[in-house]
Amino acid sequence: MASQGDEGPLVGRTGTLADIQSYLRNVGPGGTAAVFVTGESGVGKSRLLRETADALRGTDFAVLSGTCLDIGDASPLHPVLQALRRHDGGHTDNSGPADAGALLDRVSHALRTIAGNRQLLLVLDDLQWADRSTRQLLLYLLAGLGDVRVSVLAAIRAEALHGTHPLRRVLAELRRLRSVRVVDLAPLTQDQTRDLVTGIVGGTVAVEDADRVFKRSGGNPFVVEELARDLRDGRVELSDTLREIFLSRVDELPPNAHQVVHAMAAGVEPVEHAVLARVVPLGEDQLIEAIRAAVAHRFVASDSDGYRLRHRLVAEVLEQEVLPAQSAALHRRFAESLEAVEGDPDHARLAFHWQRAGVPERALPAVLAAARAAERLYGFAEAHRYWTIALQLTGDDCEDRADVLGNAAESAHQCGEHLLALSRVEELAARTDGPGRSDVHLRRARYLAAAGRTATAETEYLRALDAPDCTPRQRASAAAYLAELLVHLGRYAEAHQHARDAMELAAINGSTPDLVRASAALGFSAVFREDPAAGLSVVRQAVEIAERSGHPDDLGVAYMHLAELLTGPLNSIEEGVLVARRGADRPVGRHYRTRLLAIAAKGLFRVGQWAEASAVLDTAMSYRPSGADAVELLLSRCQLWVGFGEVDNARRDLDAVATLLAGGGARHVLPMLTLRAGLAMWQGEHAEARAAVQRGLTETRSDDLVLIGVLTWHGLRAEAEAHVAGARVDPGALRRLKTATERLVTAMGEAGPAVQAAVTGYVDLCTAEISRIEDRHDPDPWARAATVWDRRQQPYPAAYSRLRQAEASLHRKVRRAAAVTGLRQAYATATAMGARPFASEIRGVAQRFRVALADDEPTVPMAAPALVTDELAVLTVREREVLAAVAEGLTNREIGEKLFISERTVGVHLGHIFDKLQVRTRVQASRVYLTAA
Amino acid sequence: MTQPIWGPVQQEMSDLLRRHPDDVPGVVEQLAGLQDVLCRVPPLLHGNPLADFNKLYLTITENVLERLYAGRFKDPAFLSRLDVEFAARYFDALRYWTEASPSCPGVWAGLFCRVPGPDQRPLPSAVAGVNAHINFDLPFALVTTFDHLGTDPIDGSDQHEDYLQVNDIFAEEIPGLRRGYLDRWQLLIDTMNGDLDDWWQGEMVEYTRNVAWRNAQKIWSIRHDQLALDKQRRRLDSTATGLGKLLLSPFADFLQ
Repeated sequence: MASQGDEGPLVGRTGTLADIQSYLRNVGPGGTAAVFVTGESGVGKSRLLRETADALRGTDFAVLSGTCLDIGDASPLHPVLQALRRHDGGHTDNSGPADAGALLDRVSHALRTIAGNRQLLLVLDDLQWADRSTRQLLLYLLAGLGDVRVSVLAAIRAEALHGTHPLRRVLAELRRLRSVRVVDLAPLTQDQTRDLVTGIVGGTVAVEDADRVFKRSGGNPFVVEELARDLRDGRVELSDTLREIFLSRVDELPPNAHQVVHAMAAGVEPVEHAVLARVVPLGEDQLIEAIRAAVAHRFVASDSDGYRLRHRLVAEVLEQEVLPAQSAALHRRFAESLEAVEGDPDHARLAFHWQRAGVPERALPAVLAAARAAERLYGFAEAHRYWTIALQLTGDDCEDRADVLGNAAESAHQCGEHLLALSRVEELAARTDGPGRSDVHLRRARYLAAAGRTATAETEYLRALDAPDCTPRQRASAAAYLAELLVHLGRYAEAHQHARDAMELAAINGSTPDLVRASAALGFSAVFREDPAAGLSVVRQAVEIAERSGHPDDLGVAYMHLAELLTGPLNSIEEGVLVARRGADRPVGRHYRTRLLAIAAKGLFRVGQWAEASAVLDTAMSYRPSGADAVELLLSRCQLWVGFGEVDNARRDLDAVATLLAGGGARHVLPMLTLRAGLAMWQGEHAEARAAVQRGLTETRSDDLVLIGVLTWHGLRAEAEAHVAGARVDPGALRRLKTATERLVTAMGEAGPAVQAAVTGYVDLCTAEISRIEDRHDPDPWARAATVWDRRQQPYPAAYSRLRQAEASLHRKVRRAAAVTGLRQAYATATAMGARPFASEIRGVAQRFRVALADDEPTVPMAAPALVTDELAVLTVREREVLAAVAEGLTNREIGEKLFISERTVGVHLGHIFDKLQVRTRVQASRVYLTAA
Repeated sequence: MTQPIWGPVQQEMSDLLRRHPDDVPGVVEQLAGLQDVLCRVPPLLHGNPLADFNKLYLTITENVLERLYAGRFKDPAFLSRLDVEFAARYFDALRYWTEASPSCPGVWAGLFCRVPGPDQRPLPSAVAGVNAHINFDLPFALVTTFDHLGTDPIDGSDQHEDYLQVNDIFAEEIPGLRRGYLDRWQLLIDTMNGDLDDWWQGEMVEYTRNVAWRNAQKIWSIRHDQLALDKQRRRLDSTATGLGKLLLSPFADFLQ
């Protein structure tokens, strides 16, 4: 059957078409590209998609196409799963992936298989109707996380982008990326309209006629085509509106075809033949004839999936023409037909039709089924919508009401709709058949806490504890949650008390999650109350409890708390890293595994074991994280790339982060901007570095002290670099950075000791950078910074401070010997970490002041090689082997495997090595080894 | 061919609007660029009614930016996103108008169509712009921002307090604008009862900004329902358009 065969010529889009193809071919380093075509209905977006797909198909592209549905409640990932089904005709396995990430991974795998070694072109029409899961998948793929070389071509109706459409922000964020283009498709110009009219009519067309078409159509190609056909067929149109044009067409249809077209307008496209046959009460032959007529009159198009209206504009016109009773009857017939057709029904479509048929009692089961199906696919947003519909379908006296309300509240909470969740709990609380008082208070408290209303949340937890029907189990749970909340609020004494209560209750009656939650709260509150030993032992105990329960989530949470405690307030980074890696080896599930590895990588980065950090990140990425987990890892990896000086990789990961953040995630914006500034600084792009930092300064919350510290230091360092390079320092920017530093000092004074310890080093760096910008050449602030960072056991900032200290001393021509030693130390650290840009910066300073670095000139023998050899001579042969492996960046376990000794023995050897060399960290040990080697 | 909408500066206008600023400094830069171009639109040049609104908007945004740098908001990430999202709607409306697209919201079209003159009454025009921006754009910008940040519009929250702080900025800036233009009228009012129009102006913005917050809460609850959302959008557009017409009609002459 004719479908798109008799289209008019493509006018005025040749340039656009070529541009789109070249954008899609021009993939970024991440292997992905995207073009979003926006424009009003009928402007020719779908046509452009089709033409592009046809042009690229058969070249080195594998093409997949899908269309989003406007039923508002499509099932999760609908367009992509549809595209996959269209491709292989078979069924994609949707049954219970282990988590949301696993689902994304599975879809990516299917796409990868289809693509083979070609680039994949994913064409998505009507993206404005895409469900949340589809949007997330799109960002996941574009960020390169799916490991699919994919180019996305999507069409979006401009009308939909008004108001509050979520794609607005997504597009606003994406359009800054080099691999993304947004093409705004404008209506045809007067000349182009004339060409199109001539093309359709054939031969010559009077200029007045063509211009009348332009005036009436406003250059909308869809309307132009229709009007030009009228002109060709000698029909005189008096109507001006699209609606009238089409209604007069409908009147010309034979009666049976008329019926088909009206039915189609109520259906969800594509409408399968079997379904249509049940909806339209005609004999087989009559039906086919009617469909043929509808196709011939250019209302209906047909392809292998079924029938669809040629354009949604037509459906919109027709929908207004059908009487409500007629529409209800059509929807009922669609629903009945879908139920009658063999196989698993599409609950979403069924729910849609039964609702519009005005039969809520038939719609409800389909809606509930759709909600549960969406939850199985981790489409929480979609599930939330179904539960909302289910609420509308159940009256106050319906026996399912309480159950539906409970589910609806929880799903709203899961989607971050805290207000809605709370209002549903209120209704639940007012019902006689609802849950008990304690349960209601507990729910309300959790939702309030999630909404950031901590004061009221606290009251609700206390009420739950006081409620007469509170079971011991609920009591344990409420106390544990309350303790957790109080830790966040910094009220450690009270947190401690509630955590203790919770521990006692949970030990007898509670669940493992409550026990683990309470232990963590107890441990952190103890540490913050300056009893680190007690705190640590409680959290260690939680790990043992979790090990006994063996549940993946309990294990994951417990290990994470311990690792965070060690790397955070206790600053025992090496041990924290060890714990995190051990936890990641336990059966903890993808989410906790990647989070634990992220903690390990961060710790390794801080202690200067960059090669090892990089290896850990590779492992973490191989678990294919998604969402916030992926952002964390990408940011860590990008930090490494910047440090290593691998610019392209850094840019790729930054773009990937920006892509993922287009879907939301405010708390990662600051680290992203900091990295952007750092990268720009090394590239000498002063303006860009400044812009990133200044933007960051407008988006910092006063409680992110560490993040602000890092950002401000980056800003001042970039200004100092600009100053040194002879570029202009922006006085406004500098003034704001100084204000930020002052604010940091004030805020630090009010914060607890753990925060103080973490922030003070950055304040020192900021102060020192300011002295550099002011040309003071003062080694003292740098010396202070170096001391603090040595104490924090973080070699990079310590070495950096040492470099600047040496530079200032050399400039002032004071204490040259000490400066040379400092410079060499810094250089050894930089080379041991693989920090190439930093190392070359040190070389630059050394050359400027004619200082010979240790291995600057390989032909010149080291200053005191004998001495260094002596230093290693105190080690046994075994200890030297271990040290060599440490310097390679191997972990204790890897060393154990390599040398065929236990991990524990490696630890013992390391202890001896540290003692003999009088060092405290692996980096320092490696430095001694590498200087000697 | 039809006349370019912005006359000789059409190209500059569409080049400028091709940019999509994504932070508050970028918004300030864009508004400053627009100010420059708008003052060159014939025949009214500096007397161009849109230039008056743009000037006011630029001043207010500069003020917001200074407060952001000075750390005077509780949740700067929220306010920055809101500011960018809010401005984007003004830029979008300008872009649609520049392209002669029917998508330009009615409330903005009502003001834009006055740019070529001959009517020249700066204060009602600036107020009409404020009306369009606050009554129509702001609720949607709020909802988009909350949606993006994953938080709810809750009364008394940090975000609400920051939002209310912007009322103070409006209150600070609007009398200044008025004094710039309305010496004659001010003289009259001042002899009568002092600060009546300050009160009127300040109250109006504060009042409508609160309405915008309420409207945002209303839209928030239906934001997943495309149909209800479109309906609400049309309702807000027609209400605001009506108010805008009133402000630009001879009725508002008393302002002049």
